[in-house]
Amino acid sequence: MVAVLGAILGYPIYDLVRLSLQRYGLFELIQHHGVYVGLHNFGSVLHDAVFWHTLLRTIVFTAANVGLTMVIGTLLALLLVRISTWVRILLTAGLVLVWAMPQVVAVQVWTWMTNSENGVVNYILTELHFGNYFEHNWYVSPFSQLALVTTLVVWGALPFVAITIYAALSQVPHDLVEAAEIDGARPWRVFLDVTLPVIRPVLLILTSLSILWDFGVFTQPYLLIGQGHIVPANYLMGIYLFEQGYVKADFGRGAAISILMLAIVAALSVVYVRKMVRIGDVE
Amino acid sequence: MTRRRARGVAWNTLGLGVFVVMVFPVFWMISTAFKTDDQVNSFTPTWFSTTPTIRHFTEAIHRPFFWADVKNSVIVVLVTVVIAMALAFLAAIALAKYRFTGRKAFIVLMIGVQMLPATGLIIPLYVLLARYHEVNTLSGVIVTYLTFALPFSVWTLRGFIIGIPKDLEEAAMVDGSSRVGAFLRILLPLVAPGLVATSIFTFITSWNEYIFARILLNDQAKETVTLWLSFYLGTGRNTDYGGLMAASTLVAIPVVIFFLLVQRRIAFGLTAGAVRG
Repeated sequence: MVAVLGAILGYPIYDLVRLSLQRYGLFELIQHHGVYVGLHNFGSVLHDAVFWHTLLRTIVFTAANVGLTMVIGTLLALLLVRISTWVRILLTAGLVLVWAMPQVVAVQVWTWMTNSENGVVNYILTELHFGNYFEHNWYVSPFSQLALVTTLVVWGALPFVAITIYAALSQVPHDLVEAAEIDGARPWRVFLDVTLPVIRPVLLILTSLSILWDFGVFTQPYLLIGQGHIVPANYLMGIYLFEQGYVKADFGRGAAISILMLAIVAALSVVYVRKMVRIGDVE
Repeated sequence: MTRRRARGVAWNTLGLGVFVVMVFPVFWMISTAFKTDDQVNSFTPTWFSTTPTIRHFTEAIHRPFFWADVKNSVIVVLVTVVIAMALAFLAAIALAKYRFTGRKAFIVLMIGVQMLPATGLIIPLYVLLARYHEVNTLSGVIVTYLTFALPFSVWTLRGFIIGIPKDLEEAAMVDGSSRVGAFLRILLPLVAPGLVATSIFTFITSWNEYIFARILLNDQAKETVTLWLSFYLGTGRNTDYGGLMAASTLVAIPVVIFFLLVQRRIAFGLTAGAVRG
């Protein structure tokens, strides 16, 4: 049973490594076997300037998304503690509703809200005197496109992060916070010295998970920017892989990109995996 | 005292403000779906339609392939859930109750696979399925979804099984129950909530899944409903946002309903280990 499961889960990875060492295009796909080319695919990817630009862009994108998600998520959790019960129930219900939205649905809503002709976002920004956003096109530059993707990703990720941190906050000992406050500690110091140590493990896990999710993000940028408007200048790693491996039907090279991508993600998530394995081992 | 009161009001106002901002996109989707075309296309937005219409909904469900694709999604989701639950339950018991060689390696593999970004696996899975002529078939999609549903389900169910005291099962066996009987009468009812939660979670992820459906299915009659929605606008110049929002609402409804049922359990399951560790 376990061996079977292990095979089901492990085989794709074995296959991935083998594939990355082969020339494997449409012809080989029909023939069902590729031609061994050694490390050629890796060399070709590592010499591709687009790969390095995409990697850099993806790292900046991930840092921005994870940073925003974690900071706003923590602030939201702290806010949840302070508000009265009925507001908390309302806000939590709202967060859960947002959490439940399928990504593809959220993308469509974003498309509608930000369209340049009569998108409600332009209307509201203009009405609130943030400037004249009449017929402002949010899809005009890679930066603007990816900023829009960021709002979508962060909006979708906030509920999980905020609710989880809020749950962790309930483990912060009350008398300790009160004692610190009576001693005249400022709110910021109370947070750093009393609250933070308690919720640190949770923050760590959430950060790791967010890094994993945001680094490999595909659905939101691909659909929001729009299939026809995806160009090397706005590639993220997931899209680069999709375009180079799947669309161009160069599966060997795609596999090499996957392995590089997985290696980076693995390095980023070692903390999380080690922690989970330890839990699995203890019990 | 009044200062504290004022501060409380300020926090509550902020909380309400955050609520409005977060929920607005969902509100806007539903609100748009019920508007008339004139209201949708107007330059000044209508917040609530005083003359709601369900025309966009009837149009959406009569679009080509809507029902075919809903049927595909339902098949994929149901088969994935049933197979995943059966396999994951047995594997979780093995993992929770027995020590065996390779147990640790198995845990590492399971968590590792769960951590890989799905995007990273599109190439090998596509090639593998092409080899067995499973591209553009629902069974190929189901196998793919199983590779993601299984690790999560095994991990979550394991947590539920560990929570059951071994004495309970032994007591039943001492009282003359067979191993199977003890399993059916003691273990199964206690794990049932876990099974419900995990199956709903699998249901939601399979229903929402996009990238694998996108690369594996390329025939409109075989697509899932998520793909159907992603192609809704097509390349036409006149964008029918009212219809798009009605279709979005329809695709979201089953997920939202099920999600509300299990949200607590899943939120707990994802990080419970982390908090305790």
